Parts: sequence; C-alpha cells; structure tokens
Amino acid sequence: MDMDREARTPPHIDRRSLLRAMAASLALASAAGRRARADERALPYVNAPEFVVPGKPKWYATAVGFSGCAQPVLGKTYVGRPVKLEGNADHPLTGGATDVFMQAALLGLYDPARSQAPQLLGQAATWAAFDAAVAGRRLTLEARQGEGLRLLTGAVSSPTLLRQISDLLRRWPKARWHVSEPLSDANRQQAAQTVFGRRLDQLLRLDEANVVVSLDDDFLGAGPRQAPYAHRWSKRRLAWQQGQGASQLHVAESSLTTTGSMADHRLTVSPSRIGLLVAAIAQELGVGPAPAAPLAPTERTWTKQVMEALRASHGSSVVTVGAAHAPDVHAVALLINERLGAHGNTLTFIDPITSVPAPDDENSVAALAGDMNAGRVSTLVMLEVNPAYATPAGLAFRQALEKVEFTLHAGLYVDETARLSHWHVPLQHDLESWTDACSVDGTVCLTQPLIRPFYDVRSLHAVLDRWAGDTRSDHDLVRATWRHAWGSDFDDRWRDSLVRGFVADSAPTPVLPTIANRNVSIKAPTAGALMIDIRPDPTIWDGRFANNAWLQETPKPISKVTWGNVVVVSPRLAAERRISRGDELRLEANGRSITGAAWIAPGQDDKTLTVTLGYGADRTGPLPHGLGYDAFALCNDAGSWVLDGARLGTTGKHLVVASTQLHQEMDGFDFVRRVDRADRPVKKHPEAASFYPERKWDSPSWGMSVDLDLCIGCNACMVACMAENNVPVVGKELVEQGRQMHWLRVDHYFEGDANEPSSSFQPVPCMHCEQAPCEMGCPVNATVHSHDGLNLQVYNRCVGTRTCASYCPYKVRRFNWFENTGDDPEQLRAMRNPDVTVRSRGVMEKCTYCVQRISAARIASQIAGHPIRDGDVVTACQQACPTQAIVFGDVTDRASAVSRRKASPRDYSLLEEANTRPRTTYLARVRADRRPS
Amino acid sequence: MTDAAPTPGGYAAITGEIVDIALDYPDRRAWWACFGLALLLLLSFFVSVTVLFWYGVGVWGNNIPVAWGLAISNYIWFLGIGHAGTLISAMLLLLEQHWRNSLNRFAEAMTLFAVVCAGLYPLVHLGRPWLFYWIAPYPNTMTVWPQFKSPLTWDFFAVLTYLTVSILFWYIGIVPDVASARDRARKRRTQVFFGLAALGWRGSAHHWARWRQAYRLTAAIAVPLVVSVHSEVSLLFAAGPIPGWTSTVFPPYFVLGAAFSGFAVVSMIAIVLRHALGLQNLVTPRHLDLLAKLLLATGLMTAYGYWAEVFDTLYAGEHQEMGTLLDRLGGVYAWSYWGAVVANFVPLQLLWFRRVRVQPLLLFLISLSVTVGMWFERYMLLVTTLYRDYLVSSWREYHPSFWDWSLFAGMLGVFLTLFLLFVRFLPIISSFEVKEALFEEKGKKEQAHG
Repeated sequence: MDMDREARTPPHIDRRSLLRAMAASLALASAAGRRARADERALPYVNAPEFVVPGKPKWYATAVGFSGCAQPVLGKTYVGRPVKLEGNADHPLTGGATDVFMQAALLGLYDPARSQAPQLLGQAATWAAFDAAVAGRRLTLEARQGEGLRLLTGAVSSPTLLRQISDLLRRWPKARWHVSEPLSDANRQQAAQTVFGRRLDQLLRLDEANVVVSLDDDFLGAGPRQAPYAHRWSKRRLAWQQGQGASQLHVAESSLTTTGSMADHRLTVSPSRIGLLVAAIAQELGVGPAPAAPLAPTERTWTKQVMEALRASHGSSVVTVGAAHAPDVHAVALLINERLGAHGNTLTFIDPITSVPAPDDENSVAALAGDMNAGRVSTLVMLEVNPAYATPAGLAFRQALEKVEFTLHAGLYVDETARLSHWHVPLQHDLESWTDACSVDGTVCLTQPLIRPFYDVRSLHAVLDRWAGDTRSDHDLVRATWRHAWGSDFDDRWRDSLVRGFVADSAPTPVLPTIANRNVSIKAPTAGALMIDIRPDPTIWDGRFANNAWLQETPKPISKVTWGNVVVVSPRLAAERRISRGDELRLEANGRSITGAAWIAPGQDDKTLTVTLGYGADRTGPLPHGLGYDAFALCNDAGSWVLDGARLGTTGKHLVVASTQLHQEMDGFDFVRRVDRADRPVKKHPEAASFYPERKWDSPSWGMSVDLDLCIGCNACMVACMAENNVPVVGKELVEQGRQMHWLRVDHYFEGDANEPSSSFQPVPCMHCEQAPCEMGCPVNATVHSHDGLNLQVYNRCVGTRTCASYCPYKVRRFNWFENTGDDPEQLRAMRNPDVTVRSRGVMEKCTYCVQRISAARIASQIAGHPIRDGDVVTACQQACPTQAIVFGDVTDRASAVSRRKASPRDYSLLEEANTRPRTTYLARVRADRRPS
Repeated sequence: MTDAAPTPGGYAAITGEIVDIALDYPDRRAWWACFGLALLLLLSFFVSVTVLFWYGVGVWGNNIPVAWGLAISNYIWFLGIGHAGTLISAMLLLLEQHWRNSLNRFAEAMTLFAVVCAGLYPLVHLGRPWLFYWIAPYPNTMTVWPQFKSPLTWDFFAVLTYLTVSILFWYIGIVPDVASARDRARKRRTQVFFGLAALGWRGSAHHWARWRQAYRLTAAIAVPLVVSVHSEVSLLFAAGPIPGWTSTVFPPYFVLGAAFSGFAVVSMIAIVLRHALGLQNLVTPRHLDLLAKLLLATGLMTAYGYWAEVFDTLYAGEHQEMGTLLDRLGGVYAWSYWGAVVANFVPLQLLWFRRVRVQPLLLFLISLSVTVGMWFERYMLLVTTLYRDYLVSSWREYHPSFWDWSLFAGMLGVFLTLFLLFVRFLPIISSFEVKEALFEEKGKKEQAHG
C-alpha cells in the first residue's frame, strides 16, 4: 500500500527543507506504521529509513470529524505512533484553536474498547464473509433498482462520501439516503429556506461584532463551531482590551452556560420565553409584530439594555438564537440581523456544508423509522451512526430495526445499534484513514492517516464501495474525487493540501442572500408549569464520545460533574421541593420518564429542568455503562428539545455524583478579581516580607499568565494536558473520592444573586511559586526549584509523604493513590508521549509547565546557537486554548509576550496573602460583576 | 511522706511482690484473655498493612485536599501519649520526687510502645514505604541528602532519637530488677533469659555508682526531648502555610497536649495494673492523687492553648483563619472540635475534688475521656485544616475508610501486645527504687524521732 501521506514541518522550518521532508515521509511511509495483522517475523532494519530519528517527532496535518464537519489538527508522531493532536494554526477558520473533542480524538484512536473485527449476529466473523454477504445482497438490490435499500449516515460534508452516495443512488434510484444527526443546524437552515428561499449555513463573525446578543445560543460552548467561534470572539475581546471598539455580550438563557458565564449582561429566562424576547427585539426594530404575550419586568429591562446596545452599533452587532429553537424564531432573528446591518458583516452565509433533513422530510430518520415499520425497508446500511440509542424514544427505532431483513452497522464500537444489527463491521478511526471533509466554514480538509490501522478494520469509504460492487481503498477513492476535481493540477495540489491539512482557498465565498419572505411570526409560547430543556452534553455530546475516558473524566464546564449527567434545578425550585444535591429525581413528560441525580445551580430558571444527552446507554462489555440517564428516552420526535408540561418528583434515593468541584460559591474571596476597565489596576494585597533571601533569576526563567477575561472554561487545555503529559484517567469512583489526576483544572465560581449570578472560570495549573511551600516540606528533595524558575517534581526521588500536597495552598498536586498506569493495555502504552515519564504508584505529580517542551526548545536553540526565543516554548495548554487566554514565556525578558501580559495593570497573583510569589499569574476580568447598580 | 505503704515482710517482700509477677504470673487466665484480644488486634494490623502495601495508600480515605489522614493524626496522638512516661521517669527522677518509683517502669514501657506505634505510622503512610530510608542522612551513590528545611526530616530524627533514648533509659532502669529476677528464677529458661538480660549485674558498689551516673545522665538527655520532640511534631503542621496550621502557639500547645494525654493513659494503666495484680500497697491512693493533679494541671494548660489559639485568630482577624475557626466551631467536623473540648475539659473539672482524685474508677473514666478527647483534637487539627484550605474550589470532606480504622485497631493491638508481654515477663515496677525510697524514708523518720 503506498501511503503518500505528507509530513508537516515545524513552523520555523522554511519551505525548501519542507520538500526534503516530504520526500522523507514517502520513504517512511512504507517502513513505519504497524500492520493490520502481526507479522511473525521480527527483523531489524537492514537499511534504516532516511530521516527517521527515533525520539524526534514528525508532524502531519490531518483532521478529525465531528458531526460531519472536519476539525483541522496537526498530529505529532514518534516513529509512526501519533501521540498528540494540536490545532492547525494555518487553518483560516480556527487559527490553531482546539476543543476537547479534537484533543481527545487521539484516545479514540487507541481506545482498547474499539470494535476490532466484523460480527455476524454477535459472533465473530470475517471480512470475507461480509463481502460475500454484501455481494449476495447486491444481486437482489440490482434486480430491483435498489428498492428497499436505505443508507443511514450522520451529517456528511465529505466530498468523497457524498460522491459515493450519489453514485450509489444514481445506480439504484429506488434506494434512499437518510440522515440521523440529533443535534444539528437544521432549524437555522430551515429558517433560511423560509426567509431567503434557500437553505444556508450561518456563520457568526464574532471578531467583527461589538455587540452580540445571544438568545439561548451557547456559541462559546461545546460543538463543532466552538473552536472557531471562541477564536473569533477572543480576537474581538483582545482588541477591545486594547481600546479598539467594543465587546459586549448579552445573553438570555435558561441554564447557565459557558457563553452566559462570559456575558456582560445575562438574563435567566425560561426557554419558552426566548421567542417572545426575539419578537420584542424585532418589534423594537420595526421588523415584526408585537410579541404574542407581554414581557415580564426583568425581561423588559434586559430588552431595553439590549436595544440600546444594538442601536449604538449598527453594522457591528449580531443577534443569535440557539439551534434548538423553532425555525420561526430563527427566521425572525434573520430579519432582525438584516435590519442591524449584520448580514455580510457580522453574520455571513454559505451554502450548507452538511444537510440534515427536517423531521417531516422524506430523508429524515423519522421517515426511515416509519418505512421500516411499514416493511418498506429490506436492507439497512447504517454508517457511523447509533440510531438505536441516539434517536428520540418516540421513533421506537429499536423495535423498527427488528422488521428489517438485513441490517448492517459500520462503526467504531459495538454499540446498541451494532448489537441489534445482523452485521457489524468495525471502521477505521479518522486518524488511521484517508478521507476528506469540510470545516464549518466550508474549507475542505484532507485527512491523512497518522498510523496504519492496528485492528482488522476498514474505512467508511471502503465499506460503502463494496455496495457499489468495487473494492477500492479509501486512499484511491479520496484521490479519485480530487483527481476529477483538479484535473491536471492534481499532483501538486494534492501534495500541497496534505502538507497544509486543508485545500487552500477552498472555503466557499459567502453569499449575500436577498430576503424573499418577510412574513414570519413567532408562535405564542405555551405556558406550562415546568419545562424540560434537553441539551447536548458538553463533553460527550449526544453520546458519541461516551467511550472516550478523557472526555468522561473532563468535568462539565459549569457543574464540574464527570462520568455522568445530572438534572439541573434552580436553588429556589430545590428549596420549594426540598431537593438536595444528588437526590434522585423523576422527570415525566410526553408520558415518558427518566430518573437522574439532582444538581442545584445558580443561574437556572426556576421553571426549567435542564438535562443533557449522551448517558444512560444500554451497553455492555468494555464500554462505560450504568452512568447517568438517557434523555433521548424523553423525546417524542426529533428536533423538539424543549418539553412542556413536565412533572417532577423524587424517588427517595440518593445518588453519588462525581464532581471535581463541590463548592462553587466564591464566598466573598477574591480568587477571581474584576476591574471596570481594561486599563484599570486590579486590587492587590501588599507583598509581605520573605524569610528567605530574594533569589536572582537568570534568563530564561519561565512564567505564565492566564487572562481570565478570555477564559471561556472550555477545558481544551485540560484535555491537551492529559494527552501531552500522560495523565492517567482514574474513573468515576476515584473522582468521587477526590483522586482525579488532572494537572490543570478549571475552577468555576459563582458570585452574587442565585438567580442572576456572575460566574467565572479560573484555570489552575501549578503556580511554580518562587517561595514554594512544597519545596520546604519535602524531606527527600523530590520537589526542588530549577535554575530556570520551575518547581520540579522528581518522580523517582519521591517517597510519597504527601507533605507537598498538604502544604500547597493551591492544591494542584496530584497523588498516585494506586497503580494508575502499570496495567494499561498495550494500545494505551503506545499512545504515551515518550518525552514524559509515566508515573507509578505512590508518587506525587503535578504540572511541569511542559518541561519536556522547554528542554526540546533549549536543545534546539543550543544546536542553532542562539538563545531560546520568545514563542519557542508553547505549553500544551497554551497551544490548545482557543482564546489565547494562556501565555507562557521568559519572565526575565521584558519584551516577551508573558512579561508584557504581566505588566498589565490587571495582573495579579492568586492568594497573594500566602506569600508564595507564584509564577503563574492572572489577568483580572474586565467587567462589572452583577452588583445591584 | 509515704510513697509506698510499708509491707509486712520488709524489703524482700517488695522484691517478691514485683518480681514474682514476672516469674510466676498470678492470674494467667485473665492475662490470656487480654492477650488473645491483643493478638486479634495484632492480626488486624498485619492484614491492614498487607492490604495497604499491596494496593497502595488509596485503600485509605485520603484524597486531595486531605492528603494526610488518620495515619498522621494517630501518629501525633501516639507520640503524645509517650511523653508522659518520660516526664514521670526522667523529670521526676531529676527532681527527686520519689513517689515516681511506683510508676516509672510501666510508664516508660508505655512510652516505648507508644513511640513504636507512632513511628510505624509515618512509615506505612508513605506512598512508597520501601524507600523510607531516603529520609535518613546516609552515604549514598545518589549523593543526595535529606532536605533539612523539611519538618519531616526533623521528625525522623526526633522520633528515632526519642526511641533510642527511651529504650536506653528503660533498659538501664530495669537492669537491677532483671538481676533480682535472675536470682529468684528457678526454671532454667527464665534463668538464662534474665541472666542474659541482666548483663552480669552483681549489685556491687561499683555497679551501683556507674549505674547511677548512666541513669541520671540518660534522664537528663531524655527530659529536653519531651519538649523538643513534640515541638518538632507540631511543626509538621505549623510549618505549612495553611490557615488553621500556621501558628506559633503550636509547639507549646502540642507539648502540653502530649503530656496531658500521656498522664491520662498512665493513670489508666496504673489503675488497671493495680487492680489486676493487687499492687494496692505499691500504687497507693496518694499516687492516684498525684497523677490526677498532674492531669488537671496539664489539662488546664492545654485548655489555655485552645483559648490562645482562638484568641490569636480573633485578634489577627484574617479572613481565611477566621473561616477555619468558624468551620471548626460549626462545620461538618464540629463534632471533633466540641468532642475534644468536652471530653478533654468537662469531666476533668471533677479532679478539683480530692475524693474524685483517689477514686480509681472515676479517675479511670476521666482519663479515658481525656484520651479520647485528645484523639479528637489531633483529628480535628488535621482534618478541619486540610479539608477546607485556601481555595474553596478544592474543598472536599475526608472520611476514613475501613482500612484506616482497621489499621488503627491494629496499632492498638501492637501496643497492647507489647505491653502485655511486658507485664507478663518483666518487673513492672522498679522494686529496688521503691525499696530505696522506703529505706530513706525510714531513715528520715528515725532521725526525726531520734
């Protein structure tokens, strides 16, 4: 197999050496990587492949998929083993920004729980048998022009996959393609259909928007657009901090989200009122009739302030509505945005990159379920979807599956659907296959494998190609797509795109649609007593990441709950119903019910219970099960995520919730400080005298600055840190006991009124204190200070007295209570970063400021004969951060980025009163907290 | 001043009364019952330590932020108990308080065994216990020394020194009595055992002169250790910059608390032994009275420490420190604070009355209450400080696990086993010192009469 994947050079290598590196990667391709079947002969290299230096990483640009969209990444590989994914800084959309899903995709590749061989009726089978079964099936289908064949996929943006599907449908016109993507932009696309007469994708230009009004739209929260949106928003925020323009965020939402945390002005409101607020804004702007019901006083005040802000910033403001809201609300929002001058400025439109049909469409999953029940489906091919779990309970998809003669599930895991299908075939992970897909702005990303598949798996393209009666490889299929598109230019563009990770200038030009229909109005809300608001889970989405232990152990940004989902209730409702944290609640709506643990959180609407998808899965074997509840079980049909007329009760049971932060009220402390304007000094405690003599620091001496005004609490840093530093996952029970191993945590605090709290995030890595109490406490010199200002932890010297952790005022140290790594399966061992020691039982560990990267930069600079330059060392958390909240560098160099940050009047140290002189400092948030004004 | 009631049979009878316990134990059935229980507890120790070493410290309830737990609070508790033995033997020896002679031997034994238990705790609590010797300064190929700023390094020295000195002091003190036992023993095995242990003691004037020098010298070394060891231990807390720990009152507070808990345990042991072995004529009501007075005095000093700590916090008025104080008074672990205050100081007030002081059962119960109260105090100081330190985000409660408790039970087993063996096989009261005191007493009386 020729693997002409293209290595990527570190950013500071010029283009000429790049060509040499490309040649090298061609040579490497046939030598490195692991084979699908173990070759019993072990032979050393006779001629070592050129340019392959064990211990020297190679970078490849590729992408991982999420909801049909591509997320561009750079993969770091050591001798053919990918060990870390980072953002692709050259990508026009993300600029190197990442999110938790992108970071955690690496573990998805190595996951030992992945499906490793085909199965027929739950018994191990072979690919040959599968091929024979498909061939047999094809004969019948061929005769009937594909009648009875249904394809079910998730959202698809891959040009190759789209080409394959359309070829198949052309060949068999009676076959049909259905799409099941529970959480999509379908409502927005439908609104565009209503208003513009064509389906369009909306893209917020948050970098251009001085005023953003979000109506229940968590655009900074998890999702395929999180990284680009956070990146864009932070650009505007940074410019504003430096005095250019404004950066105002008004949010109305029912449950506190990441976006709500960053809001300057937030309103807690029932989801049923969002339509009214949109209508009220539309009326004020003269683009719609009066709202169907009067606004409450708090809503009026909020709307008034929003209107003032919007009027003052024509052309640089935008109103956005949450994807779960009905198309008519989105349609009115489009009219509002047109009036605000947003279209083409702060809101751009492109032709949809993925298309998810509305529930009443004949290509919807609902239509499929109907056809299955009606016996119109004889062959169902489900590609990388899990409809037996991730479809509304109202569709009764599981029962419908039984009525189909031949069902095939192709996926990474033996999930619910796999177990209910006749055939299950294992797929390749994105990081081990050739494919293509679009990022949310439409830029085409080519995905090249970082490693050869190490299980007996096939790519999605190859599986589909069998149905077309062909046996082409994924590589050939993807190349064929682009050979056709590019013609004679193909070779150059192919190579160039592989090196970049995306096809240059492939983003479609935004369209400026004209309004065809202004006659839209919003239906009056149904005034139910209690509502259930169903949302995607911030770390496992709709359950598709449930097998990823990194994501399971990543705390949800607001609740800090891991390994499960909770039912969020407001403090007032909890007090009324005598509910306390962890009580098992029984939720009923639509005649269906679920039970889940109560979580009481400020900023929650009193009449709304917020639940998240993705848990409660009916799984067995190595996959996590028995966690949380399944919110799909409440849904009647697709697309309705707000359920009215809910009933709430308690079962009397108490459930243990594994949260990493049990106390979130700031209690009057000043851990997160605020200033009114970016140039105002933050309040500091006077520096106390030190018993020890002041030390003089040589250059370089490392330090970090975290801008709390930019931190959106997305946890990308945290997952990046886990990947970079081989941080072990400990599981639900140990998190419950307070034994999680995260080197970097993101604290979340509430302040003020329980209904309208101000909320903020604070990433806490090791502070690398100049006067570190831990160093004083350790009896065996296992934690010491380095010449370049690092607080080092010497694992092999540590005897585990835990004095350092007891003395640490920041509690950033993590102890290996058990052997966390020794029994790791082979796959996880292969994933480890070889530059970072794997810690064994009984030793303390903590953030090292990515000392391995510092060492690498030092070695490189010594070879090159110059001092380490600013920016040569980028910590994993810093690289991952989509908002550039984290800056790292030499604090003795006054020109360095980190020194410039620390010179800001907003710079302060956490717990100055402990007199530890931390090297990690924070920039205060710029915003009025919600004091009564 | 009568330290021991005159025995009808004279000096030889005293020797017989004490040494015969070791040679021919009177109530074997009771002893076996106690020893059986102690062995059960000892089994719990071995099982708990095996589980601990096999799986790791994770079997305990510790977490982040409460990285230390029952192991360290028990360590301090056991070590504190030990201090009373040294105070009674060494300090009162130097002060020539002869009444100590009836108490010092078993008090010293108690010290020794309590220090053994205390010393075991920090070792088993290590994440990698097999590397414990890295805390010691020894020549090594790594050319790494211990970190001398760490209170743990000094803890190591302190406990080791204390153990060494306690063993020496106790052994030097017991040699003449062991020789008596050797001379009185009839069985060959006992003769050999005591003969070896007596180190050739013949009771010559030379021996006595050397012995006296050695004994008083060791006592002089031991006395300052009482203060230094527990002051050092208190630095384990006080050196940490954590609200609730970082306080200068800790060293004296810990030393007094140590003596307080120790006197309580000595009283309990004295009462039990006196009753079980019929030593009412050697451990007289006067001894109980004196012990009770010491208990009351050190108790009041400890109470002052409590008060001083609260006053310090209120006077400084620091937000974090105040938070810790209020949490101790009314938080999740308020039971440990009020448990300590009530158990330590409320029954103690009965000791103002002489009638209570000489009433063995009441004194035993009050002492038991103090022992429990001081355990609460050690637990409270450790847990309430760590579970809520500076950042509210890291607050988390600590609950000892089954294996925490089983090890504690096991450690009591270690203590009981050693102590019961001591009671069974060695002279538990210093017979020659009692006789000496009696002789001197008689001489004084005769002088007074004549």
